[in-house]
Amino acid sequence: MPQFEPANFVPQMVWLVVAFAILYFVIVQTTLPRLGRTIDAREKKVMGDLTSAERAKAEADHMQAEYEAGVATAQDKARARVAEARAAAAREIEANNAETNRMLHSKVETAEAALAERRAKAIGEIEAVAAEAAGDIVEKLTGSRPDPAETQAAARAALA
Amino acid sequence: MSANNPMEQFAIRTLHPLSVSGYDVSFTNSALWMLVALVVIAAFMVIGTMKPTLVPGRWQAALEYVYDFVVGVVDENVGSKGKAYVPLIFSVFVFVLVCNLLGLVPWVGSFTPTSHIAVTLALALIVFLIVVIVGLVNHGLHFFTFFWPKGMHPALALFIMPIEVVSFLVRPFTLAIRLFANMTAGHVLLKVFGTFVVALGSFGALPYVFGIVPLAVNVALSALELLIALIQAYVFALLASIYLNDAINLH
Repeated sequence: MPQFEPANFVPQMVWLVVAFAILYFVIVQTTLPRLGRTIDAREKKVMGDLTSAERAKAEADHMQAEYEAGVATAQDKARARVAEARAAAAREIEANNAETNRMLHSKVETAEAALAERRAKAIGEIEAVAAEAAGDIVEKLTGSRPDPAETQAAARAALA
Repeated sequence: MSANNPMEQFAIRTLHPLSVSGYDVSFTNSALWMLVALVVIAAFMVIGTMKPTLVPGRWQAALEYVYDFVVGVVDENVGSKGKAYVPLIFSVFVFVLVCNLLGLVPWVGSFTPTSHIAVTLALALIVFLIVVIVGLVNHGLHFFTFFWPKGMHPALALFIMPIEVVSFLVRPFTLAIRLFANMTAGHVLLKVFGTFVVALGSFGALPYVFGIVPLAVNVALSALELLIALIQAYVFALLASIYLNDAINLH
């Protein structure tokens, strides 16, 4: 077996040391750190992108929360305003109603007053006419005209 | 007959004789294929990191996939303190992986450096030495408490300690032999079935017919060897990081 030929050992071992030294100190040392730096830079970039994405997401979440809060307050405000408007309208309607009622009431009262006055007047006229007629009747029957005050009292008593 | 010898593929051929202060350090086909592996790795890594972009291209994504894999192995076995050793484990992993894979290229000139115990042992010794140095630098002489089993009766611990020492010292050898044996066995198997293809395929009465069976076996074996090439590179890197963990975190 050539592998166990003692003469083959030294040259191969020496050349392996030479080859490995070239590999480690020249080839690997000039290329591998560049690759390592690139990989590190990539990792850093990915991490940075991730954190910035996280930050953007947090910001977006914050904005959404703000937006939702804004919508909620706007809704509350609108609701309050609607309730206020409704109350105001109700108050106005009530006031209107009261005003109208009062007007109608006063009209009714005036009408009633006028009616009472007319009635009193009519009754007074009827009284006069009745007293007159009673005086005429008594004059025709007795020939003598009674005292107008008397006939008037009698008419009032009959009408009442 | 020598062409049919399944060991012939592991033969070391000197391409350029070289000698430094009396030691033979000839440039061999083994060294050549280690350099080929370096060229392949360098091409892969230089193209992959030529224009690094946050959204990776195909080459960069492929390289990042391998890198992430190694980072995962180190992270899982060593933890946060292991970050500094990722380039080391990465180098070990890609070197073993590319050497294993290049040996599977179905070409008569291809050679697998990791099928030689000298290569795997040298690599394992590098890892072992680094582990010892890291342990001594991080913990000083306290590192040797690693061999003292904690919470055990002293008499029993005294008995266990030599076993711990031996199991620690034997690590580079098991690491080396595991890889070398897997690679060698796989290539021998492929070669043996390859010779069967020729031997049975040239059977006079029915040419080619009987060669199909070993050929089919070789196809399946190639897939298996591809898997083993990957797994052995992974195991080597995994054990290296487990040993590093011992040195960094002690118990």
